[in-house]
Amino acid sequence: MKRFILPVSCLLLGLTFAKPAAVWAGAPGTPPALAPLTEQQRIVHVLNRLGFGPRPGDVERVEKMGIDAYILRQLHPESIDDSAAEKAVARLDTLRMSSSHLIDEFNGDIRRFIDQQKMFGNPAEMKMRYGIDIKKSKSPDGQQKPAVPAISELAQRDAIRCVGELQDAKLMRAVLSQRQLSEVLTDFWENHFNIDVRKDTCRALIVADDRDAIRPHVLGKFRELLGASAHSPAMLAYLDNNENSVVRERSAFEKKAIEWYVSAKFGMSAKGMMSAKEGPNENYGREILELHTLGVDGGYTQKDVQEAARCFTGWTFSPFTGTFNFDANRHDNGRKIILGKAIPAGMGEKDGEMLLDILAREPATARFISRKLCQRFVSDSPPDELVARIADVFTQTDGDIRKVVQAIFASPEFFSPAAYRAKIKSPFEYAVSAVRAADGQFTHALLPFMDKVQHVTEGGATIGYGSDQLSKAKRKTLNWHVYDMGEPLFAHGAPSGYSEISSKWVSPGALIDRLNFAVALTQQDVSDVRIAPEDLVKGADADQPGQVFDRLSQSLLHGEISPKTRQVILQNALPKGTQSAAVSVSKLTALILGSPEFQRR
Amino acid sequence: MNTSRRLFLRNGGIALAALGAGAAFDAGLLGRVACAAEAAGGARKKVLICIFQRGAVDGLSMVVPHGDRAYYQHRQEIAIPRPARAAGAEAALDLDGFFGLHPALDAFLPLFKSGQLAAIHACGSPSSSRSHFDMQDFMESGVVDDKHISTGWLNRALAQRQLAKSSPFRAVSMTSIVPRSLQGDADALAIRDLATFGVNASRSAGGANMAAGFEGIYDSAVGDVLRGTSKESFNAIALLKKADPTQYAPAHGAKYPDGAFGHALLQVAQLIKADVGLEVAFVEVDGWDTHVNQGGANGLLAGRLHDFSRAIAALYYDLGDKMSDVLLLTMSEFGRAARQNGNRGTDHGHANAFFALGGAVRGGKVLADWPTLAPERLFEQRDLAVTTDFRDVFAEACVRHLGISAADMPAVLPGHRVEADKFRGFLKR
Repeated sequence: MKRFILPVSCLLLGLTFAKPAAVWAGAPGTPPALAPLTEQQRIVHVLNRLGFGPRPGDVERVEKMGIDAYILRQLHPESIDDSAAEKAVARLDTLRMSSSHLIDEFNGDIRRFIDQQKMFGNPAEMKMRYGIDIKKSKSPDGQQKPAVPAISELAQRDAIRCVGELQDAKLMRAVLSQRQLSEVLTDFWENHFNIDVRKDTCRALIVADDRDAIRPHVLGKFRELLGASAHSPAMLAYLDNNENSVVRERSAFEKKAIEWYVSAKFGMSAKGMMSAKEGPNENYGREILELHTLGVDGGYTQKDVQEAARCFTGWTFSPFTGTFNFDANRHDNGRKIILGKAIPAGMGEKDGEMLLDILAREPATARFISRKLCQRFVSDSPPDELVARIADVFTQTDGDIRKVVQAIFASPEFFSPAAYRAKIKSPFEYAVSAVRAADGQFTHALLPFMDKVQHVTEGGATIGYGSDQLSKAKRKTLNWHVYDMGEPLFAHGAPSGYSEISSKWVSPGALIDRLNFAVALTQQDVSDVRIAPEDLVKGADADQPGQVFDRLSQSLLHGEISPKTRQVILQNALPKGTQSAAVSVSKLTALILGSPEFQRR
Repeated sequence: MNTSRRLFLRNGGIALAALGAGAAFDAGLLGRVACAAEAAGGARKKVLICIFQRGAVDGLSMVVPHGDRAYYQHRQEIAIPRPARAAGAEAALDLDGFFGLHPALDAFLPLFKSGQLAAIHACGSPSSSRSHFDMQDFMESGVVDDKHISTGWLNRALAQRQLAKSSPFRAVSMTSIVPRSLQGDADALAIRDLATFGVNASRSAGGANMAAGFEGIYDSAVGDVLRGTSKESFNAIALLKKADPTQYAPAHGAKYPDGAFGHALLQVAQLIKADVGLEVAFVEVDGWDTHVNQGGANGLLAGRLHDFSRAIAALYYDLGDKMSDVLLLTMSEFGRAARQNGNRGTDHGHANAFFALGGAVRGGKVLADWPTLAPERLFEQRDLAVTTDFRDVFAEACVRHLGISAADMPAVLPGHRVEADKFRGFLKR
């Protein structure tokens, strides 16, 4: 208990000052009669909501150009130069790899794995992971040992490395990009159209989903975004639509082709792996209604789910190229009735397109998407009137996302005191905003090879091999801190994605992980990020802790720190019995970044 | 921090010190410490461990109705074969002549035979939804098709159990985020790893000071939801610091399988033995959504079940006598379709099988009002029908294990009529 003696005194002081602290605006539960936001608060709000929080100098820049001009610019990212962010991610070569390369590498990984298993013999693992039997064979010395790939081989595993690189790219872009709104919306839509890289080929195909399906459409028409997602091989694999077929028997030719493929790719027999029959799989048909468009209260039935699944029969991807492919042989060509609307027989691939048209234009979709966007940008429980107004904009503009979010930013609710700092940051938002606030820069291993090994290691841990080890490491990457804080990137299991209700992030264990991140970041223990908090307090008198603190909190939190927090932090930064009055800037920074104020946006 | 909490921390610390010493001394010492603490504390401390199999496990493969002919008609390629007379054959392990265990659940067989393990079959939610996320939410909220209840049934059960001494470890989830089951007004803690739970500021000169600083800041954040969260965190850290959880060695030769699930159960055992006031533990395990190539006696699902049963059996042997106060209950949002799909897998279905393990369990039985898998008896012509409402299972656990009075149950399971004659009777009275 010795270590906790000091805070008791702080605590008692805290109680004395409890009343003034309660009046401080911004804490939840504060009375509704709040003053309108000041100009500076409006700027900070915009930077926190349209982006991942201010970097040093951002508030001044927005002040200079005007809030409206800033918002307009963010709505047109193509007009913003973003070479710095693009340069930073340029070294991540898997981001540019074609689907065909990546899916070939995915198969290559399995083949290498099988080769290793054959060499060392672990049929139980093979059965468990792939449901296939291999002939038990022993290594030359007769020993049975687990297959551990050589480190040089690890770096070549592109299909695993792409997971680590994509996570890293997401973080780097969020920290560095000038197109902040694009990055926020990319996070939003990737969460909306959630794909879990832990599901087999998704890990290789997710790169194309991010690059080709989501990013080009984050501010475009919802119908186009929905269509891009529906054609995305990663989504087709994640929700099993590549397995969705009319009831049929495989032809002799098909069986031969599959056998040849498996034998050529993996060097083993496909016997017993494929069933002669194929049939419907409702997974995608259900989730597109429930999660992507209408919402769970969108008024559809189990019958609608089945009809949606029928529309998408035959929508699959080629195992050779990893690109979309419509397989007419597997399509159910009968007539469908969905949500009371008929899709005539014999339309083939058009069935799915017609269904997407219907879904994108349903009023329930407008409401569902608008509510989620309001939850992201305004508050956890946005007023119903706001949602209804935004849904009208959605309908009137035929789902023009740019117009929809513009309407949200123009709403009085967006700039209301009730919305100000009302959202708890997700772990991703928290980590990115802290790095931005402290003017952090990414660092890389001296040997590019080691970066590759790191990305394979983290990609592998994300898909289920070795996350315990990474979490235990003394020094972790930014990516792994986000994982530990409870938000593994591209790896939310349920198709729902992470909740937009930000209070769900509040939990004791996760809070400790956040404090540990703040400490690690300021002690330069986040292995791929360097910050320079001393630069933030240049010119301040180091012997005047109050002055140093004020400079720092102004820079990191723009004045939004309670007098109480200030007092407690100063007391702890200057423990009794210390001779020098000089405060540790890094310790002050840690306490501010770990404070409850910094958990909000 | 209020006085009673401080007091508790001190008392709890003694037990935790014993936990740290557990590796050096024998299990008997731990037992004696625990008994002493129990005598001092009065009532026997019941613990409920809930294991959520996320993704809808195939109950028809876990507890195989090998006596139901329709089962083999629905699942020509993936059925678990009838119990074999020859030893070593890959077939269901017979339980009662009608039901059998999946061969990968063989670690459960001795627990079943010794009467400590029961299965509850054809159990689930009357809701006709087949959405993972809806049904997980409903089950964890303890409701059927009601979206207005966002707190969890376990949390509301805790609220009905106001003990004299509250502990920050009353409810622990071995996850990064507090699951829906434990969300609500009662304190609940999400811990991924006991060994590293704390603010790791030792490298800086004033490491302890840093932790203290955070504690002070959050304590002064009056009116902020984060304040309560931090209080729970810091209380728990203080308790855990007293011990060195890395020194834990399972008793009775218990061996937990590698992986997150085995590790989570090991830590639950650790908390129970440390006697830190644990009432409810929550553990989740995923990988059950077997739409494709689920396999039969071998394969994807078999691999999952193998680890699943070994981890639970390890906890059972590790806890030894302490199992007499423990009820372990497994659950999953819904079962899988009676018929296999076109990919040698199974799609979302309806009823499922739960397991109950513990000293107070009337085990050695598969409890079910079996609806049969005959096509005309299937729910919506496709799934095993529900004949035991999952809420009656939860209610029985609350009333007979946690000692919540039936009169208080409406607060735990709103909208559900709790009556003892609806209980399946998996617990001794």
